[in-house]
Amino acid sequence: MSETATPTLTAAASAEDAFKIYGKGDSEVRALDGVTVTFDVGRFTAIMGPSGSGKSTLMHCLAGLDSLTSGTVRIGDTDISQLSDKALTRLRREQVGFIFQAYNLIPTLTALENIRLPLDLGGESGDQSWIDQVVDAVNLRDRLEHRPSELSGGQQQRVAVARALASRPRIIFADEPTGNLDSRTGTEILKFMRRAVSEFGQTIVMVTHDAVAASYADRVVFLADGRIVDEMTEPTADRVLDRMKKLGN
Amino acid sequence: MSTPVPRLTLRGVLARKWRIFLTVLAVVSGVAFVSGAFVLTDSVKRAINELFATLSGDVDLEVRSTVAFGDAARAERDPVPFEVADAIASVDGVAKVEVNILRAATVITSDGEPLRTTGPSFGIAWEGPDGLDGRTLVDGDFARGPGQITLDQSSARRAGYQIGDTVTIVGPNGKGEFELVGLNGTGSTSNGGGAAIIAFDPQTANEFLGTQNRADSLYIALADGASRDDVQQAVQAAIDTKYEVITGEQSAQETAGAINDVIDIFGNVLLGFAAVSLFVSAFLIFNTFAIIVSQRLRELALLRAVGASTRQIRSMIVGESLIVSILATVLGIFAGMGVAVGIVALFNATGAAFPSASLIVSTRTVLASLFVGVGVTVAAAVIPAIRAGRIPPVAAMRPELGFSALQKNKRLVVGSVVTALGVAFFGLGVFVQPGEVASTLLLAALGAVLIFLGISSLSTTVAAPASRAISRTLPLPFLPMTRSVAGRLGSRNAQRTPRRTASTASALMIGLALVSTVAVVAESIRQTFREQLEGSVTADFFISNGPQNFQGLPVAFAERLLELPELGAVSPFRGSVALVNGDEKQIGAVRGSAFKDLVDIDLQDGSVESLDEGKMLLHEDPAADYGVGVGDSLSITWQNGTEQTIEVGGVYADSSIAGNWLVGLDTLAAVSTAQPVDFFIGAKIADGVSIDDARIAVEKIAADFPSAEVQNQAEFQQSQEDQFNQLLIVIYGLLIISIAIAVLGIANTMALSVFERTREFGLLRAVGMSKRMLKRSIRWEAVIVAVFGAVLGIVVGVPLGAAVTTALPESFVDRVVIPFPTIISVLITAIVVGVVAAIGPARRAAKLDVLEAISST
Repeated sequence: MSETATPTLTAAASAEDAFKIYGKGDSEVRALDGVTVTFDVGRFTAIMGPSGSGKSTLMHCLAGLDSLTSGTVRIGDTDISQLSDKALTRLRREQVGFIFQAYNLIPTLTALENIRLPLDLGGESGDQSWIDQVVDAVNLRDRLEHRPSELSGGQQQRVAVARALASRPRIIFADEPTGNLDSRTGTEILKFMRRAVSEFGQTIVMVTHDAVAASYADRVVFLADGRIVDEMTEPTADRVLDRMKKLGN
Repeated sequence: MSTPVPRLTLRGVLARKWRIFLTVLAVVSGVAFVSGAFVLTDSVKRAINELFATLSGDVDLEVRSTVAFGDAARAERDPVPFEVADAIASVDGVAKVEVNILRAATVITSDGEPLRTTGPSFGIAWEGPDGLDGRTLVDGDFARGPGQITLDQSSARRAGYQIGDTVTIVGPNGKGEFELVGLNGTGSTSNGGGAAIIAFDPQTANEFLGTQNRADSLYIALADGASRDDVQQAVQAAIDTKYEVITGEQSAQETAGAINDVIDIFGNVLLGFAAVSLFVSAFLIFNTFAIIVSQRLRELALLRAVGASTRQIRSMIVGESLIVSILATVLGIFAGMGVAVGIVALFNATGAAFPSASLIVSTRTVLASLFVGVGVTVAAAVIPAIRAGRIPPVAAMRPELGFSALQKNKRLVVGSVVTALGVAFFGLGVFVQPGEVASTLLLAALGAVLIFLGISSLSTTVAAPASRAISRTLPLPFLPMTRSVAGRLGSRNAQRTPRRTASTASALMIGLALVSTVAVVAESIRQTFREQLEGSVTADFFISNGPQNFQGLPVAFAERLLELPELGAVSPFRGSVALVNGDEKQIGAVRGSAFKDLVDIDLQDGSVESLDEGKMLLHEDPAADYGVGVGDSLSITWQNGTEQTIEVGGVYADSSIAGNWLVGLDTLAAVSTAQPVDFFIGAKIADGVSIDDARIAVEKIAADFPSAEVQNQAEFQQSQEDQFNQLLIVIYGLLIISIAIAVLGIANTMALSVFERTREFGLLRAVGMSKRMLKRSIRWEAVIVAVFGAVLGIVVGVPLGAAVTTALPESFVDRVVIPFPTIISVLITAIVVGVVAAIGPARRAAKLDVLEAISST
């Protein structure tokens, strides 16, 4: 049941005048220094920047994992800075998916149980045919009863992608999803994510510092010192790398 | 299944089964005490009830003297003259009347020693298996006339006699020789629950036991078809109202009830220790779950990130504790049955012969065990669960952000408040003592619990500096430790997680604090007691019935001592109970003229000799309470109902031997026809007689009363202290269990720490630390934690002990003594505990593969 990407007027997520400040006085660190950015529905966006640029912080705040010092973050139309912990939990469960760099899975649950986890936590049965489709897409059919410790790194990360897709969230946040993988396995994961956007119309925001990874996205947003300094559509690895070299200075 | 919480919970438990096994073990031991106490009391009580129901046999009615007050089964009743039996025999509907006689008597073994029994040793009148009581003839014949006896099977065997042998029996008036014609039995026991039963025919019993044609009570059997109610009324109408007629069942229930009360006390002591070990277990459980939560920080944060609510995380942790606790409780109930069987076997091994009983596990036992087992475990897991719920989802990617949620620190305030509250409750319970004894004790116990919790919370703040101080001061005998890398690492590691160090140490603190408390109280009492004895005992000899026998000495002994020219002052010490102005009091009876030379009661006013003129003496405390002095009078009601107004002849200040109330021997003899026994006899040597000569003379008489024990002053004091020490050994023994649980706790924490530091240990080994050094550093860490616990225990326990000691009546204990030898042994115990607890974790750390350890995350 694939749909074509149909960008609507509504953004999947956005940040407006986002500030995240740690410490006070001399030791003040501005992890986000007035960021305003919008992520369109059905698009694959990469956030890039050198270490300490605030890219991870931006993603944590967008995903409701962390709170801003000031500013607004919306998921769909919802201003998440106004939400209670309970509502935020529900939002994460129903509207947000996560893929982390490592430690993505609960070690005591099987692959299938991990995939179904957000649904099960919400007490929902989910759409079984959709889950089947996702499982087949990530090619995990014969691995479903295995525990994470019995899976390879690439397989574990595929389970994580499948979990993020399972509840058909409004948006998926991926934090260096290929950071711990060899390049062949990494490519595999990126292709899955690309397919999820192109074929299923999923919205994905990915933080990475790998130019090749960023080249799978529709759009790249560059961050430095807590500010958005540039963006690029239709990226290629070479162009991204060039841009990053300039940022490095 | 769309509910992941139960699944996550179950998997969480299975993934950590060994860790959790230790926790289970701790809960099991606490629950085992609870269920053991209930199983034991239920089972033994039912057996006792059945035994006495059997013993009441064919007795339809029983006639006995009335008492004015007191417990029906334990009251001292006047005997019933045989003539009353004759009067009853002619009442319509009465088929048979038997006399019930039961007096202290002792079997002399074939080796010539008095037979030692754990229960009483009795001579009784028995008309054989056709008699009304439920005793059975196990072998041979029953005693049909003079010179014959039967013994219970167990006593005969232990005394080394077979049917046909001649047996020496010591009765109230001295020795007699009898032929053993058979063996008697009581219900299902091989003897009467530890008692020795010597059965005579009624006439021989009357003569040998010196009952002078008077029975303790009369047994009545009804004629066929007679109505029991009618006969009961007819019998009562035929006799004086100072006798009452009760049913056989009532009599059996009263006797069984009195024994059941004793069993209940025993059960309550077990429950007390159950409370202590459960309390200690709670710390272990708390610690285990707290550590498990911090180890699973990323996992829990991930769950939060993918949409688990705070409540789902909390119920997951609480659910894990629920599984653990149910498992532990079930095991604990079975272990409790083992405890009950063990205790019965232990008592039987010392000759008690409990009636054989099937184990009863009642619904109440199961419910109570579940309640405490599940309740304590889940309660201890609540705080870790709440903390787990606070872990922010972002910690899935940045674990360092999560730990702040686990380390919220309001402990100083909370700890201080809880401690203060505990001190207040404890002080209220111990010093003010509002209400009943039970509520006062409860208040003090609650106070102590709060103090423990508060100190445990406060100890977090001092854990790091204290660990440092301990590692600096302790090592005198371990000098190389402080300078070595292993020593330094061990000490730093103990300081690294103060909260963990503190709560691990707290578990040990409780057991050792209780030991310290008991030690202070005991040593203070012991020294007070010793000094009082030294100050007040002026007698040269004390004769008692030995520590094995609580039945007292036959009065004939004192009468014969009086005739000895080698002795001067001689006085027995008898006792009874009476109502003084309506309150039940223990009253001692002595020969005043002699007593004043035997015991210095620190007379404040009046004279001791006034006792012989029918006056009474009392201690200054009750004198003040009642507002009486010499020349005033008090109204006394004796147990048989005799009322008297007795003049106060003196007031004294030392009650250590005399108790609070004294009357003359004649006063007691005049009001009671019950056969008296002497608790002890004091005697002084006559002028010019050597102590050795006097002792030879006394021992010669004592030879006719083989169970009597003659002691000089030093021996008397020693025997009093020995009894006290035995009690202490039992208390310490039971507290050791709580210390054992704490050892489990330290081992558990160390094992978890080793697991967490896998990478670190790999690094240390890689840069050249030997296995031995690694083990040594872990051992040292455990010793520091244990010593910290011991120091906390002493710091808490000694003041608690001092407070209890101060609160006790001054006549009982008048000083606070801190027993340094005990405190030093507590510290040494702690070092041993640390070393023992570290064995497993240290071995495990040493086994780690260096490369694997380094690459683990």
